[in-house]
Amino acid sequence: MAAVRLVSVEKRWGDVVGVARQSLEIADGEFMVFLGPSGCGKTTTMRMVAGLEEPSGGEIWIGDRDVTDALPKDRDVAMVFQNYGLYPHLTVGDNIGYPLRIRGHSRSERKTQVLEVARKVELEHLLERRPRDLSGGQRQRVALARAIVRRPQVFLMDEPLSNLDAKLRVSMRAEIRRLQAELRITTIYVTHDQIEAMTLADRIVVMKGGVIQQVGTPAEVYGRPANLFVAGFVGSPPMNLMPAVVQEGRLRVAGQSVGAVPVPAAEGVDLVLGIRPEDLVIVPPDEADLRGQVYMFELTGDAVLVTIDVGTSRICVRGDRHLRHGIGDAIGLRLDPQHCHFFDGQTQKRLQLD
Amino acid sequence: MTAYVNPGLSSLKIDGRRRRRNGRSLRNAAIVFITVLWVLPVLWIMATAFKPPSEAAGLALWFKPTLSNLFASFGVPYLLGSRLLNSILVTAGTLAIAIPVSTAAAYAFSRFRFPGGSAAPLVLLATQFLPPVIIVIPLFVVFRNLGMLDTRLALVIANLSFVVPYATWMIKGFFDGLPVDMEEAAQIDGASRLMALWSVVVPVAVPGIATAAIFSFVVSWNEFFYALVLTRDHAVTLPVALMSARSEQGDAWEIMATMGLFIIAPMLVISRFVQRYFVAGLVSGAVR
Repeated sequence: MAAVRLVSVEKRWGDVVGVARQSLEIADGEFMVFLGPSGCGKTTTMRMVAGLEEPSGGEIWIGDRDVTDALPKDRDVAMVFQNYGLYPHLTVGDNIGYPLRIRGHSRSERKTQVLEVARKVELEHLLERRPRDLSGGQRQRVALARAIVRRPQVFLMDEPLSNLDAKLRVSMRAEIRRLQAELRITTIYVTHDQIEAMTLADRIVVMKGGVIQQVGTPAEVYGRPANLFVAGFVGSPPMNLMPAVVQEGRLRVAGQSVGAVPVPAAEGVDLVLGIRPEDLVIVPPDEADLRGQVYMFELTGDAVLVTIDVGTSRICVRGDRHLRHGIGDAIGLRLDPQHCHFFDGQTQKRLQLD
Repeated sequence: MTAYVNPGLSSLKIDGRRRRRNGRSLRNAAIVFITVLWVLPVLWIMATAFKPPSEAAGLALWFKPTLSNLFASFGVPYLLGSRLLNSILVTAGTLAIAIPVSTAAAYAFSRFRFPGGSAAPLVLLATQFLPPVIIVIPLFVVFRNLGMLDTRLALVIANLSFVVPYATWMIKGFFDGLPVDMEEAAQIDGASRLMALWSVVVPVAVPGIATAAIFSFVVSWNEFFYALVLTRDHAVTLPVALMSARSEQGDAWEIMATMGLFIIAPMLVISRFVQRYFVAGLVSGAVR
């Protein structure tokens, strides 16, 4: 187990910047999730830690060792690939035992350890099968077992659940979290799925265009997004973002004057008001801060999602599952000042109000 | 199921069945025809090899089989034994060098980025567009200066010049289709690049490599032109030895047929494997 440090690391291919120059520290035993849309540099960053990609600049440290120029085999990391990366010509048992074999462990030693981890991921009855005879979930467990069989210093997981169906994904997610908690091995987990990021992470790194947007606990990233990108990316449905401006000492949102919310900035500054669907309350129009018409009404089972046209903005509200509204109904919304996020329309950064 | 059968419908059905049956017999006839066309010359060579010399040029289907041609072929002046040995050693030597070299080259072309990386395999293939007649003269001069004319090693080197490019291309095509994940996993699991190639990539690519090996075997076993120019007495291979059956006294067809048998035999055996490996190559592939 070890901490991982990226010091001014960057990756370029000619003029193309894959990962911009930046630093990051991952604590010993921490579960760190790299989150972002595809092409944001999260996988490249992880591959640089693995040694599969050479950084164009900077240093990578694992524990107290500078591994920037070390070969993957000398870094003492283990990796789970999106497509599992299993060896199709070997049995499940030999797949799991491969890292031990290559390091010259004896046959009997290998057998004991393989059996031990196979039991941990409930594969002991499949050790003689070949990968092609397994289901997606079983293959994923083989890949996990192979990663943990030799207790590496760092776990790397590259979208390990993206090839599984939704139900299996939920159970494997729990499995991964439980294993990591049990082994306390520093883990870097790459995903574009924000639910995975929220549920698994000790801390999340949100990336976009090769640049880190925010580093924080799931609660911080969700509760205090650092900029408009994070606000729009994390959360499902995403945070509502509406243009706002201060006029005559009052806040105007989507063309309507909102008195209940304190004025966050100077007169005339271009603002964006962000508010999460679950933080809006539907009220009769005459008691409301914002008024609009119902555009769409969806029942998701545990809640209803009401999409409302407010001026030029279209915003989404999560309401009680017993709520019913017809399309085109006039409707009112109350804003809780505590749950309002303000962003600078120019810099897109969060405005700190406190 | 209904008891009522529409008479029009059932006659349609019978029509269709008849048409299908006709189609099938037509197809079978075509298969038989083509097979006979291919197999007949081989059978003819086999028969000729066991005919007495006096009947060799005839069309007789019934004759008294004899082994005298076989004994004559192994004797002076045909020396089938030493020619056979030359063919075996040259082909084995070519394969022993070509397959590891081609596998390594194919891996490099398939996986590494280097300046001119995408052009290099094309250049390798382009060397094969030159007719052998053009290459054989400089080869002859070089080997003469090195004192290597009429040696098996010279033939091995000449064979490598065309076997390696083709084998490299065949294996490269196979490597290109293998996901990179496996070998990256192997490297992270503690293997060096070479070890990953040996323990993960090669075993998975065996059908592709075997196909390339069989191809290399066939072309170098049958190679005639370089062997004709570069050998005289010691390193003569089977295809060239066939020529020795033509002399001022006439063509010894029965001897040619006997030698032909020895050239064909490994092909017949190998064609079994080719089929097996081609099928294996098609159905295998890495796990996703």
